[in-house]
Amino acid sequence: MHKLIRKLLGKLNIAIALTLAMVMAGGLGGATYVLASSTSNFTQTINAGTLVVDIVDGTSYVTVGSPTMAMSAATFSFACQTKTGSFGTASESIYVSNPDAADNGWAVSLAGTATSSVWASAGTDFDFNDGGGSGCTDTVDAQDTDAVGGQMTVDPSVGTLAIGQCASCVTTNVTKGSSDAFNAVTGPVNTITILTGAAASDDIGDWKLTGVSISQKIPAEQPAASDYNINMVLSIAAS
Amino acid sequence: MQILVIGLAMLTSAVFASSVFAIEYGGFGGRPAYPRADNPRTESIFVHTLEPGDVQEEGVLTVNNSAERKTMLVYAVDSTPSTGGAFACAQKSETPKDVGAWITLEKGEVTLEPGTNELVPFTIRVPQNASVGEHNGCIVMQEKKEPVKGQSGASLSFRTGLRVAITIPGELERKLEIVGFTVTKKDDGSFLLHPLVKNLGNVSIDADAQVITSYFFGLTHITHGGQYPILRGDISDWNFELKKPFWGGWYRSSFVAEYDANPEAGVGVKSGKTLTRLEGPSVWFWSFPTPVALAIEVIVLLVLAFGGFLFWLSQKRKRWIKENWVFYEIKSGEDIKSLAERFDVSWKLLARVNKLKPPYALKTGQKIKVPPTK
Repeated sequence: MHKLIRKLLGKLNIAIALTLAMVMAGGLGGATYVLASSTSNFTQTINAGTLVVDIVDGTSYVTVGSPTMAMSAATFSFACQTKTGSFGTASESIYVSNPDAADNGWAVSLAGTATSSVWASAGTDFDFNDGGGSGCTDTVDAQDTDAVGGQMTVDPSVGTLAIGQCASCVTTNVTKGSSDAFNAVTGPVNTITILTGAAASDDIGDWKLTGVSISQKIPAEQPAASDYNINMVLSIAAS
Repeated sequence: MQILVIGLAMLTSAVFASSVFAIEYGGFGGRPAYPRADNPRTESIFVHTLEPGDVQEEGVLTVNNSAERKTMLVYAVDSTPSTGGAFACAQKSETPKDVGAWITLEKGEVTLEPGTNELVPFTIRVPQNASVGEHNGCIVMQEKKEPVKGQSGASLSFRTGLRVAITIPGELERKLEIVGFTVTKKDDGSFLLHPLVKNLGNVSIDADAQVITSYFFGLTHITHGGQYPILRGDISDWNFELKKPFWGGWYRSSFVAEYDANPEAGVGVKSGKTLTRLEGPSVWFWSFPTPVALAIEVIVLLVLAFGGFLFWLSQKRKRWIKENWVFYEIKSGEDIKSLAERFDVSWKLLARVNKLKPPYALKTGQKIKVPPTK
């Protein structure tokens, strides 16, 4: 009889120890446990999603820390020259995620941080939005306050659009923008549409775009430098 | 024994407790804090009808679903036309003059831990001189970043904008006009279908823009399009990509736009009345078949041509037989086989021309047609 009681008390100790361990571990892990009934309540939080545009690795979908638009190297020239580049590559895809945050459509656009932005270097700058002389010379105008020439053309229509991680999603009703050049004076063209999602596009979906063509007019006799840099803004807007 | 059990239980609980907390979508941004049940569109954007002088309290729920602590700039700007008439938000560097200037946010910067959110209240004050019609602006969430020095190339910042559509009541005009439609062939053989629509009114219109591409005989091949907002005073255009049709041939693309022109309609609100339909121009274009389709088409054409040749040959022979064969009277002891040998023709042809049926028996004195003797 005593043996039986000892055995039962031993088992009770183990049960108490387990319960205490659960409570302590729960406290450490930040979870809350309810030990009140024989039925289990599993809780799950799904945070509200937001419309996002980003540059990610096209395979792992990990955000690229410092994405850049690489342009082909230019050499000093006495004539105005055009250099091309590609925005969105396999390792730096333009990525749009709509987790039920914009059911009536959205648009992704590219712009300079200001109309007065330039490709800046320690030497002489050149412009991204000056249509003067077919993009080769400076236009003297109040809307384009910088005193340098140069023009950037963006052509999303040649890019390749694909679905992202959402296997059941489709690219139907997601359209690429037309080719256009930034121009602070004529138009003006300060923002270029990259992608547009219609109301009928997937409410929950993600897409990636690669191969958007970029070309930049560099004015004649632009000094050689290795640090030309410009700040651009990639925006997504729910409409 | 008890210590071992406690240790194991703690380890198991700690591991499982931390792996089942939340599903996260990633990224940072925001959503309207007070969506209204009477307008589902308010789940994505801010929509209000306000009189000049009105004050409206609103809020944006800023969200950080990324795995890092984020500091976000939250600011109001005017809307700006993007190419193709798409909706876009002006840059922070641009001084707002319209809706962006009407909005006052309680804070311009929020720092959020991963998986958290914060409500940022704001007030919309409509000036007394606000004109009738729709005015658009944005509440923008942009990650605060220090500029990277010494980097060459184009550095990118990312931001999410939520449209703020304010309608000032009065004489609201809802009118669209199709201004063009082109079809351009691309280098890879696909086609770019490019319709353009202009908004002539003073409010934005959600238009259902459709490009219907049909085969030569009218059967629909494919339909592109969807519902897009066309902002007041803007020309919207879209690039619908038509993949190179497999079979090739002549195709016709037509552009159609449907919208709610009734004054009761608004942003996210349908009047329930008949929609206005605009029909644009149709464009005929030729597409060369894909190599596989071309091979199939050539084989089919060759088979058809050969079949036609055989048919022509048989018709020619029928005509020759009809014109040249002569009647012959069957003599005693002759049968179809002996006649075939005599006239150097197959017995089957003799039977077919004379419509003889098995067992092809011939009676003496019966007249049948036979080839002319040389």
